[in-house]
Amino acid sequence: MSTSEKSTKLVGTATRRKEDPDILLGQARYTQDISLPGMLHAAIFRSPIAHARIRAIRMERALALTGVVAGFTGQELRKLSFLKPMAPFPFQNRDPFQKGNPTIKFFDHYCLAADKVRFVGEPVAVVVATDRYIAEDALELIEADFDELQPLIDSDAALAPGAPLIYEEWGDNLMLRFRVSGGDVDGAFRRADLIIEEEIRSGRFTGTPIETRAVVASFEPSPKILTIWDTTQIAHPIGTLVENTIALPELRVRVLAPRVGGGFGQKWSFYPEEVLIPLLSILTRRPIKWVETRREHMVGTIHAREQTHKIRAAVLKDGTILGIKDQIIANIGAAYPTGGLASIVTTGMFVTGAYKIQNYEGEVLGAVTNKTPYGAHRGFGKSEACFVIERLVDIIAEKLSLDPPEVRLKNFIRPEDFPYVSVTGPRYDSGEYGRALTKAMELAEYRKWREEQARLRRDGRYLGIGTCLVVEPSSSTRMGSYNAGYYSVRMRMDPNGKVSVFSSGSDEGQGHATSISQLVADELNLPFDDIVVVEGDSWACPYGSGSYSSRFSVVGTAATTLAARQLKGKILNVASVLLQKPAGLLALDAGKIFVAEHSQQSVSLKDVARAAYFSIFRLPEGMEPGLEILYHYRDPNIEFHPDERGRVAMFSSFPYDAEVAVVEVLPETGSLKILQFVSVHDCGNMLNPLIVRGQHLGALAHGFGGALYEELPYDENGQPLAMSFKDYFVPTAMEMPTLTLEHMVTPNPFTPGGFKGAGETGTVGPPAVLANAVEDALRPLGVKVRQVPLSPFYIWSLIEAARQGK
Amino acid sequence: MSVRRRIAVTINGQLYEHEVESRLLLVDFLRDSVGLMGTHYGCDTTSCGACSVIVDGRSVKSCTLFAVQADGREVLTVEGLARNGKLHPIQEAFWEHHGLQCGFCTSGMLISAYFLLTRYSDPSDAEIRQGIAGNLCRCTGYLPIVEAVKSAAQKRRKS
Repeated sequence: MSTSEKSTKLVGTATRRKEDPDILLGQARYTQDISLPGMLHAAIFRSPIAHARIRAIRMERALALTGVVAGFTGQELRKLSFLKPMAPFPFQNRDPFQKGNPTIKFFDHYCLAADKVRFVGEPVAVVVATDRYIAEDALELIEADFDELQPLIDSDAALAPGAPLIYEEWGDNLMLRFRVSGGDVDGAFRRADLIIEEEIRSGRFTGTPIETRAVVASFEPSPKILTIWDTTQIAHPIGTLVENTIALPELRVRVLAPRVGGGFGQKWSFYPEEVLIPLLSILTRRPIKWVETRREHMVGTIHAREQTHKIRAAVLKDGTILGIKDQIIANIGAAYPTGGLASIVTTGMFVTGAYKIQNYEGEVLGAVTNKTPYGAHRGFGKSEACFVIERLVDIIAEKLSLDPPEVRLKNFIRPEDFPYVSVTGPRYDSGEYGRALTKAMELAEYRKWREEQARLRRDGRYLGIGTCLVVEPSSSTRMGSYNAGYYSVRMRMDPNGKVSVFSSGSDEGQGHATSISQLVADELNLPFDDIVVVEGDSWACPYGSGSYSSRFSVVGTAATTLAARQLKGKILNVASVLLQKPAGLLALDAGKIFVAEHSQQSVSLKDVARAAYFSIFRLPEGMEPGLEILYHYRDPNIEFHPDERGRVAMFSSFPYDAEVAVVEVLPETGSLKILQFVSVHDCGNMLNPLIVRGQHLGALAHGFGGALYEELPYDENGQPLAMSFKDYFVPTAMEMPTLTLEHMVTPNPFTPGGFKGAGETGTVGPPAVLANAVEDALRPLGVKVRQVPLSPFYIWSLIEAARQGK
Repeated sequence: MSVRRRIAVTINGQLYEHEVESRLLLVDFLRDSVGLMGTHYGCDTTSCGACSVIVDGRSVKSCTLFAVQADGREVLTVEGLARNGKLHPIQEAFWEHHGLQCGFCTSGMLISAYFLLTRYSDPSDAEIRQGIAGNLCRCTGYLPIVEAVKSAAQKRRKS
């Protein structure tokens, strides 16, 4: 489209992504593709033991190898006066607002362990060599002596009195305790017809982006500028955290996240290598590159999800849920600065899910163990909450001989209740849960399958139908942390009439450049290709907290749209001077600004842009030169100030998904076949249906992985048993079921575009809906499904146990 | 440390002669010696397929072949798919069907799809799924990729 044609609107259309041609041609550049003159390669020696004191690390033989330039142990680095421990994240300021709830213990981890190791994979020493092969050879020559200590693998064992201490100075292994409650919980339990008590577990799994982590660092001594290329979702915070940790006077850090090959929360953390590799560049005065191997990734990059819920529900005979008490114990591994604490607090906030339950008491305990640190993963604590509440609803239905969807429909938050303030404080924006579930059941032919189930049961076959309703609170904020509830955009129309957008988010595959271009093209009636988007550069882009919590489609789109409107105002003001007409009478389209009533009276956008930059003598004195603005959008559905019950609202948008799954379980092997899977998804208005579908499908694939295959088990010595894609099974194209997808729209009333988050909802449902379906299938055997993954062995074991009457 | 050998490999129609360590993996040869960064490194165990390339007409994972094993052979990488700046029909179809998000697996996925279409003119969904089962993708949920490959095959049959 040339600038002379009249523009058509792009928001809401399946616009092809502008990111794609470079990627398809193999020309997109990721961190592992960065190569600098004189660059050296680092390899990291990691603890092979789960829990031990470091007696000695001897580097001599490694350093003697030809091609090795330098090597350091944790003890050596500890002697550098300017090297500080890694700052906690994201409770960076040891949150002054939290008022003792949650209580959190901190530990000053350095980028290399010096005295003690606390999980297999913890960085202990590093070598730098002229190539990666030599660096890896050198690792084999490092001699390390450890005094082994008793490892703690299980969270209950870690919290038991007298357990060995992972952090001696704490006095126990409890890193976090958080309590949240509201309503009359004891009254609810007194009034109940039935009290249900269950223990439900989520297994440990994680996101495993195909691009492992990588860091390249280059230090210039004068002025002291450290440039870091990093596979991160949070360029600005990493810059600040590195400046705090490498406390050299006058050091300024620039973080560049070039194209990032998938994040899923795993690249939303502060990692030892993000300090270590830059530090090596300072110490050696050479650029340094480190690319994580997959084996390193499986132990050195955060895990997620592992939680045990001891939940009690107070229920009436008709299925009404009066109240819930939940004790949540999360096995959070070692206490590194990750988003793990925030994610388990989030679980505690959202156990009531899609239901109007105003009596709730939750306690979250984060127990440290000798496992890989626990952090953020797509679905961030909400997946675990959903698994528990959606399992619980099915258990209630079974006890009361009700159909599970009936219990759901009875307890849902109703359309007229929105905006709905939950018992824990968040303000749910909008939704029609009943309509979504009913629609999903119609699409799945729920009644027909119930008949089929009865027929097959007579033949001794085990068909099961599961339902669930996922609510996926998005666009989160945390007080006193980097995720601070706003989004900033700098937007400039250049003298040539084209627009550059510098966004404070970051893209790990979501297509922000396309979405931003669609929004700006519509506001300014510009061609899509005239808009260029820059993200992931901490110096070029306005300060921001990056991408997480599906926030781009909420606060990122809002900031972009409102920035574009402000820029348009500026353009019209300049045009008003040139045309000698009030700005209010002017319109912008097809590369021209014209008088709305007399379209022949016009000035070209380029002339306006040139005048704004090069002919300020034509502009009145008070008018700012140039066409550049900085816009900060503050999320209006975040409430920092406690209400009369002390509640704050830290999530602003609530996309949801109704799912129905039909499975057949083969009792001989415990394996299952997905016969049908329906998802009715509502993320508000859709900015780009192609991208929304892609996000939702990809999220569902993560959900299927966690529900059925993915698990990070440890043996009794704390040795991880999944160290590669050969033993950590992510779904391939063969495992992905055929899906029926439908969209519903209840717009988000708090954002200009009506969009909600779309990136995570799909991840949340499959564990719950498939566990519900499996238990439904095996109901004649009396099997109780209380955890994921639903591995064939787990299902087979349940069947065997049920048959033996256990 | 290890023996060095001189090798000559034709990559995307152009001959490259280099002296390499005998233990150098083909993926590192392509990326670091030749400078073709489109082939990616994603695992250590021949599992993820991000490094897939075609060697003498067959799809291989370049992390599991030494560069010296490619001596005298013809290699096609993702950079060799487009002709004269025009996307290959498979690339076009991936674009059209949103068969990529972060793009990291995409090079290998395109190579596997290309290889699949050298063997099948009209692949079924099951054949496509099997054909890309050695390539892991964590973004797309695969279905858009299956749709893209199917559509590329259809377009090729029509033309």
